[in-house]
Amino acid sequence: MKRFVVLLGAISLFVPSFAHGAKVKIGFVNSITGPEAPIGENLTNGVTLAVEDLKKKGIEVDLVKEDDTGKPETSMSAFEKLATRDNVTGIVGPYSSKCAAALAKLAEKYKVPLLIPVASKDDITRQNLKWTFRLSATTNDYAMVLLDMATKLGKPKTMAIINENTDFGTSGAKSAKEYAAKKGLSVVAEEAYAPGSPDYRSTLAGIKAKNPDLVFMVSYVADAILLMRQSRELNLVPRAFLGAGAGFATVQFAKEKDISNDVFSSAQWTPDVSWPGAKEFNERYKARFGKEPTYHATTAYESMRIMAETAAKAGGSANRTRDLLKRGKWNGIMGEVKFADYDGYTNQNKHPMLVQQIQNGVHETVYPPQYAPKKPVYPFPGWGK
Amino acid sequence: MAIFVQALISGILIGGVYALIGIGLTIIFGVMRIINFAHGDILMIGMYATYYLFTLLHIDPFLSVVITIPLMFLFGAMLQKVFINRALDALPQNQILLTIGLGLIMSNSVMLAFTSDYKILTTRYSSSSVTILGISVSSPLAISFAITAAITAALYWFFLKTDTGQAIRATAQDREAARLMGINVRKMSTIAFGLGAALAGTAGALIAPTYYIFPQVGSIFTLKSFVITVLGGMGSVVGATLGGVLIGVAESIGGVYFGSGWKDVVVFTLFLLVLLFKPAGLLGKSRT
Repeated sequence: MKRFVVLLGAISLFVPSFAHGAKVKIGFVNSITGPEAPIGENLTNGVTLAVEDLKKKGIEVDLVKEDDTGKPETSMSAFEKLATRDNVTGIVGPYSSKCAAALAKLAEKYKVPLLIPVASKDDITRQNLKWTFRLSATTNDYAMVLLDMATKLGKPKTMAIINENTDFGTSGAKSAKEYAAKKGLSVVAEEAYAPGSPDYRSTLAGIKAKNPDLVFMVSYVADAILLMRQSRELNLVPRAFLGAGAGFATVQFAKEKDISNDVFSSAQWTPDVSWPGAKEFNERYKARFGKEPTYHATTAYESMRIMAETAAKAGGSANRTRDLLKRGKWNGIMGEVKFADYDGYTNQNKHPMLVQQIQNGVHETVYPPQYAPKKPVYPFPGWGK
Repeated sequence: MAIFVQALISGILIGGVYALIGIGLTIIFGVMRIINFAHGDILMIGMYATYYLFTLLHIDPFLSVVITIPLMFLFGAMLQKVFINRALDALPQNQILLTIGLGLIMSNSVMLAFTSDYKILTTRYSSSSVTILGISVSSPLAISFAITAAITAALYWFFLKTDTGQAIRATAQDREAARLMGINVRKMSTIAFGLGAALAGTAGALIAPTYYIFPQVGSIFTLKSFVITVLGGMGSVVGATLGGVLIGVAESIGGVYFGSGWKDVVVFTLFLLVLLFKPAGLLGKSRT
């Protein structure tokens, strides 16, 4: 008994020291399993590093992780659990656009601020939703930066679009088509495929017959690899393969050198970009997880950092957190972040996009020139060259 | 024209593998009058076996068929002995529930063990192709088609020339009469289910290098194999072969001329037309 009292005393001595560091409860919805899990893993790693860094700054994050398995209905029940049972101050996530689109409406309903790190379907922040914030650029920007680059490098006239028929895919294809019209490119083929039927030979054969200068693709990892594999099989040789981020920006894709070399991909972040802390983050991440971080990891890191710091400042009040997110301004590994209302967007960060090209199995930043240490290879030299 | 030939060849190559899946289902149905709704899931297990034989033991996916075939045969025989046998005389809906249940258990166990992440097999020749007269043929697909053709030929020989093969056919024709003639009907059922599972598993092994692998991949193939066997005529091995190639070609041509979103529409329209004009399937005999 006496020992117990001593123990209690000892504990009580430590308690005040904890009280100095702010404690915040943040939810994190992500594709931990399911088809998008290989990309989801990057987000989880980014958040892990963010939580460690926040602890060093005295912010204790009580992180509640939920797996959406890549399905909107699962992500919705995860959100409801976080908002009603766990009573979190804010939520970071989810990865994919289809889940994010579903959660944006729930954030409004439950009045819990949602910070979307990287899901990029345009419409998500175009519905005048007050509780949804987005750090990354939108699919509009994915297409714009790629077509800007392609039209500067050469004089392409025709373009084919291949996309997955989900939210991210169709919205990417739609903005590519609109922007192509502005740039004077004619879209000669548009193919939307259903994920899970990975034989694209007939689709690609049809595209090859139209002989487009550019092939623009919006796909996740497994499809990105198979699309390029079968393009090679059929000897489809446009002037450039343009991948709208996602599957094309992953290390797994870059590693398949036979099929990924010289493919362009738009990216929200690259390790060699000149934003504060980007290079250090890259080194730390590699040392910790044994692989290169993708932009998914950095957007997740930065989103978690911003959300937790803001929540701590707001003293755990969801309402105040939202106000502070709206008014705040940050500068970190993703460059300057500010959630603004413009061009029909609400709470959208105007994030500058970059273009990478896979050269010898590594993603190299090649555009825009002010951030890019390497020169792009254009036109596509052909298979096995 | 070149596109048409290209689509036709891709379709036939894929169709070969579809045929293998269909033959497996049709044998099981022929002998036991059971529709195996776990067929796609057995195929999925074949895919995973191939994937791990390749990544852990570095056995080439096409060579690993030598291991996959007996392994899947034993797996199928076990399923028959332990589960299917008990439901042979049960109501058809109970048999359907049994096989659906077995399929669910398989896909969910695999998900538990290996997560639902998509896996992709990358071999040296994954993206290589041969060009003949301007038509490019995917090497892995061509190899898998060759193996499929060899297995199908061996199967025909087995059914026509060997005693066991003839006994299986006799069982399929008339279970009671076969029993009266001294055929061990139970043993034939076990062999038939083993064969069916081995064929599905082999099909899984053969498409593993060109598809992606995930626990729920089976449902796509269960539906496909069902369409193939009904199209060809339930219980007819030749019909399943024909049905498989036909579906492969329809998908491929539909993808080129109607767009990839429409290829299933082409397949099912074809399916409905066959059912309308020849309800027993292309080579099926109506049992009245």
